[in-house]
Amino acid sequence: MEAPSPPPPPSPQAVGAEDRWDGAGNAFTDDALSAGSIGGKDAPLHFAAPKGRAPGSAAPKAPGTTTPSTTTPDASQHADAVPHRESMLIYTATLVLAVYQVDTSLTRIEELTRSLGGYLASRTDSAIVVRVPRARFQDELGEIGKVGDVLHRTIEAQDVSDQVVDLEARLKNARAVRDRIAQLLQGATATKDALAIEKELSRVMGEIEQMEGKLQLFADKIAYSTVTVTFQPIRTSDVHAMARLPFPWLEALGLGPLLQVK
Amino acid sequence: MRTVKLSARSLFAAALLAGCGAPFTMKTPPSMVELDAQTEYAYRAMTPDGVVLGVRVLEGDGKADVAFWSEAVALHMKELSGYALLGTSEVVTANGFKGKELRFGHDEGKKPYLYTVRLFVGRTHTFGRKDLFLVEAGGTKDEMERAGPTLDWAMGTLKLR
Repeated sequence: MEAPSPPPPPSPQAVGAEDRWDGAGNAFTDDALSAGSIGGKDAPLHFAAPKGRAPGSAAPKAPGTTTPSTTTPDASQHADAVPHRESMLIYTATLVLAVYQVDTSLTRIEELTRSLGGYLASRTDSAIVVRVPRARFQDELGEIGKVGDVLHRTIEAQDVSDQVVDLEARLKNARAVRDRIAQLLQGATATKDALAIEKELSRVMGEIEQMEGKLQLFADKIAYSTVTVTFQPIRTSDVHAMARLPFPWLEALGLGPLLQVK
Repeated sequence: MRTVKLSARSLFAAALLAGCGAPFTMKTPPSMVELDAQTEYAYRAMTPDGVVLGVRVLEGDGKADVAFWSEAVALHMKELSGYALLGTSEVVTANGFKGKELRFGHDEGKKPYLYTVRLFVGRTHTFGRKDLFLVEAGGTKDEMERAGPTLDWAMGTLKLR
Protein backbone atom coordinates (compact mmCIF):
# COMPACT_ATOMS: atom_id res chain seq x y z
CA MET A 1 0.00 0.00 0.00
CA GLU A 2 1.32 3.34 -0.95
CA ALA A 3 2.10 5.72 1.87
CA PRO A 4 -0.16 8.77 1.69
CA SER A 5 1.62 12.00 0.99
CA PRO A 6 1.24 14.83 3.48
CA PRO A 7 -0.88 17.82 2.52
CA PRO A 8 1.03 20.95 1.56
CA PRO A 9 1.81 23.56 4.21
CA PRO A 10 -0.75 26.36 4.45
CA SER A 11 1.01 28.78 2.15
CA PRO A 12 3.94 29.90 4.28
CA GLN A 13 6.27 32.26 2.50
CA ALA A 14 9.41 30.52 3.62
CA VAL A 15 9.46 27.04 5.02
CA GLY A 16 12.44 24.76 5.20
CA ALA A 17 12.67 21.74 2.99
CA GLU A 18 12.56 19.43 5.99
CA ASP A 19 9.25 20.85 7.09
CA ARG A 20 6.39 18.51 7.99
CA TRP A 21 2.76 19.51 8.27
CA ASP A 22 -0.24 17.47 9.20
CA GLY A 23 -3.78 17.84 8.04
CA ALA A 24 -4.75 19.82 11.10
CA GLY A 25 -2.30 22.48 10.11
CA ASN A 26 0.12 21.51 12.82
CA ALA A 27 3.70 22.04 11.96
CA PHE A 28 4.69 18.59 13.14
CA THR A 29 3.02 15.28 12.88
CA ASP A 30 5.00 13.50 15.54
CA ASP A 31 4.88 14.29 19.17
CA ALA A 32 8.10 12.59 20.02
CA LEU A 33 9.93 15.82 20.46
CA SER A 34 7.20 17.50 22.45
CA ALA A 35 7.36 14.72 24.96
CA GLY A 36 10.80 13.37 24.28
CA SER A 37 14.24 14.16 25.42
CA ILE A 38 17.69 14.93 24.27
CA GLY A 39 20.93 14.93 26.14
CA GLY A 40 21.56 11.25 26.65
CA LYS A 41 20.75 8.85 29.45
CA ASP A 42 22.88 10.55 32.08
CA ALA A 43 20.81 13.70 32.27
CA PRO A 44 18.12 13.68 29.62
CA LEU A 45 16.73 17.08 28.84
CA HIS A 46 13.00 16.84 28.58
CA PHE A 47 10.72 18.82 26.36
CA ALA A 48 7.57 20.12 27.84
CA ALA A 49 4.51 18.44 26.44
CA PRO A 50 1.86 20.77 25.03
CA LYS A 51 -0.78 21.71 27.54
CA GLY A 52 -3.66 19.31 27.77
CA ARG A 53 -1.92 16.46 26.04
CA ALA A 54 -0.08 13.56 27.52
CA PRO A 55 3.57 13.15 26.59
CA GLY A 56 3.87 10.84 23.66
CA SER A 57 0.23 11.17 22.70
CA ALA A 58 -0.66 11.73 19.10
CA ALA A 59 -1.03 15.21 17.72
CA PRO A 60 -4.62 16.18 16.93
CA LYS A 61 -5.58 15.70 13.32
CA ALA A 62 -8.33 17.01 11.19
CA PRO A 63 -10.91 14.47 10.04
CA GLY A 64 -9.89 12.66 6.91
CA THR A 65 -6.30 13.72 7.07
CA THR A 66 -3.28 11.51 7.01
CA THR A 67 0.04 11.44 8.70
CA PRO A 68 3.28 11.27 6.77
CA SER A 69 4.90 7.88 6.98
CA THR A 70 8.16 9.39 8.21
CA THR A 71 7.01 10.11 11.75
CA THR A 72 9.36 9.65 14.64
CA PRO A 73 8.90 6.61 16.87
CA ASP A 74 7.59 7.08 20.39
CA ALA A 75 10.27 9.04 22.18
CA SER A 76 9.62 7.33 25.50
CA GLN A 77 10.90 4.08 23.98
CA HIS A 78 13.93 5.71 22.45
CA ALA A 79 15.05 8.23 24.99
CA ASP A 80 18.67 7.23 24.55
CA ALA A 81 18.61 7.26 20.80
CA VAL A 82 19.61 10.22 18.72
CA PRO A 83 16.38 12.08 17.96
CA HIS A 84 14.99 11.78 14.49
CA ARG A 85 16.24 14.48 12.16
CA GLU A 86 12.72 15.75 11.47
CA SER A 87 12.28 16.55 15.13
CA MET A 88 15.14 19.00 15.22
CA LEU A 89 13.42 21.96 13.66
CA ILE A 90 13.02 25.33 15.28
CA TYR A 91 9.98 27.14 13.97
CA THR A 92 9.68 30.90 13.96
CA ALA A 93 7.12 33.15 12.38
CA THR A 94 7.00 36.87 11.83
CA LEU A 95 3.77 38.60 11.00
CA VAL A 96 3.16 42.21 10.13
CA LEU A 97 -0.35 43.40 10.84
CA ALA A 98 -1.98 46.60 9.69
CA VAL A 99 -2.03 49.32 12.29
CA TYR A 100 -5.55 49.27 13.64
CA GLN A 101 -6.67 48.89 17.25
CA VAL A 102 -3.18 47.85 18.19
CA ASP A 103 -3.71 47.69 21.97
CA THR A 104 -6.78 45.52 21.61
CA SER A 105 -5.06 43.26 19.11
CA LEU A 106 -1.96 42.86 21.28
CA THR A 107 -4.13 41.80 24.20
CA ARG A 108 -6.09 39.37 22.05
CA ILE A 109 -2.89 37.78 20.77
CA GLU A 110 -1.61 37.42 24.31
CA GLU A 111 -4.86 35.80 25.42
CA LEU A 112 -5.11 33.40 22.52
CA THR A 113 -1.49 32.39 23.03
CA ARG A 114 -2.25 31.46 26.63
CA SER A 115 -5.33 29.57 25.52
CA LEU A 116 -3.12 27.49 23.23
CA GLY A 117 -0.71 26.65 26.03
CA GLY A 118 1.85 29.29 25.15
CA TYR A 119 3.21 32.28 26.94
CA LEU A 120 4.19 35.90 26.42
CA ALA A 121 7.88 36.47 25.75
CA SER A 122 7.80 40.24 25.33
CA ARG A 123 5.43 43.05 24.46
CA THR A 124 5.87 46.67 23.47
CA ASP A 125 3.43 49.31 22.25
CA SER A 126 3.56 48.01 18.70
CA ALA A 127 4.90 44.46 18.86
CA ILE A 128 4.49 41.22 20.70
CA VAL A 129 6.60 38.07 20.88
CA VAL A 130 4.92 34.89 22.03
CA ARG A 131 5.96 31.27 22.37
CA VAL A 132 3.58 28.45 21.64
CA PRO A 133 3.92 24.68 21.79
CA ARG A 134 5.00 23.70 18.34
CA ALA A 135 1.98 21.45 17.90
CA ARG A 136 -0.15 24.58 18.20
CA PHE A 137 2.07 26.73 16.02
CA GLN A 138 -0.22 26.67 13.00
CA ASP A 139 -3.29 27.19 15.19
CA GLU A 140 -1.62 30.28 16.61
CA LEU A 141 -0.90 31.66 13.15
CA GLY A 142 -4.46 30.99 12.07
CA GLU A 143 -5.90 32.74 15.10
CA ILE A 144 -3.59 35.73 14.71
CA GLY A 145 -4.81 36.00 11.14
CA LYS A 146 -8.28 36.60 12.53
CA VAL A 147 -7.12 39.34 14.89
CA GLY A 148 -6.20 41.79 12.18
CA ASP A 149 -5.31 42.34 8.59
CA VAL A 150 -2.08 40.43 8.01
CA LEU A 151 0.11 42.36 5.61
CA HIS A 152 3.03 39.96 5.55
CA ARG A 153 3.86 36.62 7.03
CA THR A 154 7.15 34.79 7.12
CA ILE A 155 7.62 31.31 8.50
CA GLU A 156 11.02 29.76 8.94
CA ALA A 157 12.16 26.32 9.98
CA GLN A 158 15.74 26.04 11.17
CA ASP A 159 17.19 22.56 11.20
CA VAL A 160 19.46 22.14 14.21
CA SER A 161 19.98 18.39 13.89
CA ASP A 162 23.70 18.72 13.28
CA GLN A 163 24.24 21.00 16.24
CA VAL A 164 22.21 18.80 18.57
CA VAL A 165 23.86 15.56 17.46
CA ASP A 166 27.30 17.12 17.74
CA LEU A 167 26.51 18.57 21.14
CA GLU A 168 25.17 15.26 22.37
CA ALA A 169 28.29 13.42 21.24
CA ARG A 170 30.52 15.96 22.94
CA LEU A 171 28.41 15.78 26.06
CA LYS A 172 28.63 12.01 26.12
CA ASN A 173 32.42 12.18 25.81
CA ALA A 174 32.68 14.87 28.46
CA ARG A 175 30.66 12.79 30.87
CA ALA A 176 32.89 9.79 30.24
CA VAL A 177 35.93 11.96 30.90
CA ARG A 178 34.30 13.28 34.06
CA ASP A 179 33.69 9.72 35.30
CA ARG A 180 37.29 8.72 34.61
CA ILE A 181 38.62 11.81 36.38
CA ALA A 182 36.36 11.07 39.33
CA GLN A 183 37.81 7.58 39.51
CA LEU A 184 41.32 9.01 39.38
CA LEU A 185 40.44 11.40 42.16
CA GLN A 186 39.30 8.54 44.33
CA GLY A 187 42.62 6.81 43.83
CA ALA A 188 44.78 9.90 44.31
CA THR A 189 47.02 9.74 47.38
CA ALA A 190 49.15 12.85 47.12
CA THR A 191 47.43 16.16 47.93
CA LYS A 192 49.12 17.85 44.96
CA ASP A 193 47.73 15.21 42.59
CA ALA A 194 44.29 15.42 44.16
CA LEU A 195 44.23 19.20 43.71
CA ALA A 196 45.27 18.94 40.06
CA ILE A 197 42.65 16.26 39.39
CA GLU A 198 39.97 18.31 41.15
CA LYS A 199 40.86 21.32 39.02
CA GLU A 200 40.51 19.26 35.87
CA LEU A 201 37.26 17.74 37.14
CA SER A 202 35.91 21.22 37.77
CA ARG A 203 36.81 22.30 34.26
CA VAL A 204 35.13 19.28 32.69
CA MET A 205 32.05 19.76 34.90
CA GLY A 206 31.87 23.34 33.68
CA GLU A 207 31.97 22.18 30.07
CA ILE A 208 29.25 19.63 30.76
CA GLU A 209 27.03 22.28 32.32
CA GLN A 210 27.55 24.56 29.34
CA MET A 211 26.64 21.82 26.88
CA GLU A 212 23.61 20.80 28.92
CA GLY A 213 22.53 24.42 28.93
CA LYS A 214 22.84 24.65 25.17
CA LEU A 215 20.89 21.44 24.70
CA GLN A 216 18.21 22.71 27.04
CA LEU A 217 18.05 25.89 24.98
CA PHE A 218 17.63 23.89 21.78
CA ALA A 219 14.99 21.77 23.47
CA ASP A 220 13.07 24.87 24.47
CA LYS A 221 13.35 26.49 21.07
CA ILE A 222 12.19 23.30 19.35
CA ALA A 223 9.36 22.58 21.77
CA TYR A 224 8.05 26.13 21.68
CA SER A 225 7.80 28.03 18.43
CA THR A 226 8.37 31.77 18.48
CA VAL A 227 5.87 34.07 16.86
CA THR A 228 6.61 37.77 16.48
CA VAL A 229 3.80 40.10 15.54
CA THR A 230 4.45 43.72 14.71
CA PHE A 231 2.00 46.45 13.90
CA GLN A 232 3.55 48.96 11.62
CA PRO A 233 3.13 50.46 8.22
CA ILE A 234 5.80 49.45 5.81
CA ARG A 235 7.99 52.32 4.82
CA THR A 236 8.05 53.18 1.17
CA SER A 237 11.76 52.56 1.03
CA ASP A 238 11.18 48.97 2.16
CA VAL A 239 9.08 48.10 -0.83
CA HIS A 240 11.34 49.39 -3.57
CA ALA A 241 11.12 46.03 -5.32
CA MET A 242 7.39 46.43 -5.84
CA ALA A 243 6.36 48.29 -8.96
CA ARG A 244 3.94 51.04 -8.08
CA LEU A 245 1.17 52.47 -10.18
CA PRO A 246 2.17 55.91 -11.51
CA PHE A 247 -0.96 57.67 -10.31
CA PRO A 248 -0.15 60.41 -7.80
CA TRP A 249 -3.66 60.47 -6.43
CA LEU A 250 -3.03 57.10 -4.83
CA GLU A 251 -0.44 58.79 -2.65
CA ALA A 252 -3.00 61.37 -1.63
CA LEU A 253 -5.43 58.80 -0.28
CA GLY A 254 -5.93 58.33 3.42
CA LEU A 255 -6.98 60.09 6.54
CA GLY A 256 -4.24 62.70 6.50
CA PRO A 257 -5.25 64.58 3.36
CA LEU A 258 -8.95 64.05 3.94
CA LEU A 259 -9.02 65.35 7.50
CA GLN A 260 -6.70 68.26 6.80
CA VAL A 261 -9.48 70.72 6.13
CA LYS A 262 -8.90 74.33 5.16
CA MET B 1 5.30 67.49 -8.13
CA ARG B 2 2.31 65.73 -6.73
CA THR B 3 0.80 68.99 -5.52
CA VAL B 4 1.12 70.53 -8.94
CA LYS B 5 -0.59 67.59 -10.60
CA LEU B 6 -3.34 67.55 -8.06
CA SER B 7 -3.81 71.27 -8.47
CA ALA B 8 -4.12 70.81 -12.21
CA ARG B 9 -6.69 68.14 -11.59
CA SER B 10 -8.49 70.40 -9.18
CA LEU B 11 -8.51 73.15 -11.78
CA PHE B 12 -10.01 70.72 -14.21
CA ALA B 13 -12.61 69.71 -11.68
CA ALA B 14 -13.29 73.36 -10.91
CA ALA B 15 -13.64 74.11 -14.63
CA LEU B 16 -16.09 71.29 -14.96
CA LEU B 17 -17.99 72.52 -11.95
CA ALA B 18 -18.03 76.14 -13.14
CA GLY B 19 -18.20 75.99 -16.91
CA CYS B 20 -19.41 72.66 -18.10
CA GLY B 21 -21.55 71.78 -15.16
CA ALA B 22 -20.44 69.68 -12.21
CA PRO B 23 -19.63 66.09 -13.15
CA PHE B 24 -21.60 64.95 -10.15
CA THR B 25 -24.08 66.09 -7.58
CA MET B 26 -24.31 65.15 -3.98
CA LYS B 27 -26.54 66.54 -1.28
CA THR B 28 -25.07 67.79 1.96
CA PRO B 29 -26.88 66.35 4.94
CA PRO B 30 -28.29 68.81 7.52
CA SER B 31 -25.79 67.60 10.13
CA MET B 32 -22.82 68.47 7.91
CA VAL B 33 -21.50 71.70 6.49
CA GLU B 34 -20.07 71.99 2.99
CA LEU B 35 -16.62 73.54 2.90
CA ASP B 36 -15.89 76.19 0.30
CA ALA B 37 -12.80 76.77 -1.81
CA GLN B 38 -11.49 73.25 -1.68
CA THR B 39 -8.40 72.78 -3.82
CA GLU B 40 -7.80 69.08 -3.85
CA TYR B 41 -11.39 67.97 -3.54
CA ALA B 42 -14.31 68.80 -5.77
CA TYR B 43 -16.52 68.61 -2.72
CA ARG B 44 -15.86 68.42 0.97
CA ALA B 45 -18.15 68.57 3.96
CA MET B 46 -17.77 67.79 7.63
CA THR B 47 -19.70 67.13 10.79
CA PRO B 48 -19.25 69.28 13.91
CA ASP B 49 -17.20 66.52 15.54
CA GLY B 50 -14.72 66.17 12.69
CA VAL B 51 -15.95 63.48 10.33
CA VAL B 52 -15.06 64.57 6.83
CA LEU B 53 -16.70 63.58 3.56
CA GLY B 54 -14.91 64.37 0.33
CA VAL B 55 -15.26 63.76 -3.38
CA ARG B 56 -12.45 63.80 -5.88
CA VAL B 57 -12.84 63.71 -9.62
CA LEU B 58 -9.83 62.33 -11.46
CA GLU B 59 -10.21 63.15 -15.08
CA GLY B 60 -9.27 60.46 -17.53
CA ASP B 61 -8.23 58.01 -14.83
CA GLY B 62 -11.32 55.98 -15.50
CA LYS B 63 -9.31 54.12 -18.14
CA ALA B 64 -9.49 51.04 -15.96
CA ASP B 65 -12.58 49.57 -14.38
CA VAL B 66 -13.77 49.75 -10.80
CA ALA B 67 -12.40 46.30 -9.99
CA PHE B 68 -8.92 47.36 -11.05
CA TRP B 69 -8.96 50.58 -9.08
CA SER B 70 -10.43 48.92 -6.01
CA GLU B 71 -7.62 46.44 -5.95
CA ALA B 72 -5.04 49.16 -6.56
CA VAL B 73 -6.41 51.27 -3.72
CA ALA B 74 -6.66 48.30 -1.34
CA LEU B 75 -3.09 47.25 -2.06
CA HIS B 76 -1.78 50.77 -1.79
CA MET B 77 -3.49 51.44 1.52
CA LYS B 78 -2.46 48.12 3.01
CA GLU B 79 1.03 47.73 1.67
CA LEU B 80 2.24 51.28 1.77
CA SER B 81 0.19 52.91 4.47
CA GLY B 82 -0.43 50.04 6.86
CA TYR B 83 -4.20 50.44 6.82
CA ALA B 84 -6.28 47.41 7.72
CA LEU B 85 -8.83 46.45 5.13
CA LEU B 86 -11.96 45.82 7.18
CA GLY B 87 -14.32 45.04 4.35
CA THR B 88 -15.55 45.74 0.87
CA SER B 89 -19.00 45.95 -0.65
CA GLU B 90 -20.71 46.74 -3.89
CA VAL B 91 -22.35 50.16 -4.03
CA VAL B 92 -24.38 52.06 -6.55
CA THR B 93 -24.96 55.77 -7.13
CA ALA B 94 -28.41 57.31 -7.07
CA ASN B 95 -28.43 57.18 -10.86
CA GLY B 96 -27.22 53.64 -11.26
CA PHE B 97 -23.43 53.74 -11.59
CA LYS B 98 -21.95 50.67 -9.96
CA GLY B 99 -18.98 51.11 -7.68
CA LYS B 100 -17.09 49.58 -4.81
CA GLU B 101 -16.68 50.64 -1.21
CA LEU B 102 -13.51 49.82 0.70
CA ARG B 103 -13.52 50.20 4.47
CA PHE B 104 -10.23 50.65 6.25
CA GLY B 105 -9.14 50.98 9.85
CA HIS B 106 -6.03 52.71 11.04
CA ASP B 107 -4.64 53.87 14.35
CA GLU B 108 -3.50 57.47 14.48
CA GLY B 109 -1.38 57.55 17.57
CA LYS B 110 -3.28 55.12 19.74
CA LYS B 111 -6.70 56.19 18.55
CA PRO B 112 -8.58 53.99 16.06
CA TYR B 113 -9.86 55.73 12.94
CA LEU B 114 -12.05 54.55 10.11
CA TYR B 115 -11.65 55.53 6.50
CA THR B 116 -13.90 54.54 3.62
CA VAL B 117 -13.49 55.07 -0.10
CA ARG B 118 -16.10 54.54 -2.74
CA LEU B 119 -14.89 54.28 -6.32
CA PHE B 120 -16.95 54.88 -9.41
CA VAL B 121 -16.00 55.14 -13.06
CA GLY B 122 -18.12 57.69 -14.91
CA ARG B 123 -19.57 57.47 -18.36
CA THR B 124 -17.44 57.90 -21.46
CA HIS B 125 -17.17 61.50 -22.68
CA THR B 126 -14.97 63.46 -25.11
CA PHE B 127 -12.13 61.48 -26.72
CA GLY B 128 -13.32 58.34 -24.99
CA ARG B 129 -12.22 59.57 -21.60
CA LYS B 130 -13.80 58.40 -18.41
CA ASP B 131 -13.47 60.06 -15.06
CA LEU B 132 -12.77 58.28 -11.82
CA PHE B 133 -14.76 59.42 -8.81
CA LEU B 134 -13.50 58.89 -5.29
CA VAL B 135 -15.90 59.44 -2.43
CA GLU B 136 -13.97 59.39 0.83
CA ALA B 137 -15.06 59.61 4.44
CA GLY B 138 -12.95 59.50 7.55
CA GLY B 139 -12.81 60.23 11.22
CA THR B 140 -12.29 58.57 14.56
CA LYS B 141 -13.92 55.17 14.91
CA ASP B 142 -16.51 56.41 17.41
CA GLU B 143 -17.43 59.48 15.39
CA MET B 144 -17.54 57.58 12.11
CA GLU B 145 -19.83 55.02 13.65
CA ARG B 146 -22.09 57.77 14.95
CA ALA B 147 -22.05 59.49 11.58
CA GLY B 148 -22.65 56.26 9.68
CA PRO B 149 -26.31 56.89 8.76
CA THR B 150 -25.55 60.49 7.77
CA LEU B 151 -22.68 59.43 5.52
CA ASP B 152 -24.71 56.65 3.97
CA TRP B 153 -27.49 59.11 3.25
CA ALA B 154 -25.14 61.64 1.66
CA MET B 155 -23.30 59.04 -0.42
CA GLY B 156 -26.63 57.62 -1.48
CA THR B 157 -27.52 60.93 -3.08
CA LEU B 158 -24.46 60.90 -5.36
CA LYS B 159 -25.26 61.20 -9.03
CA LEU B 160 -22.66 61.07 -11.77
CA ARG B 161 -23.23 62.98 -14.98
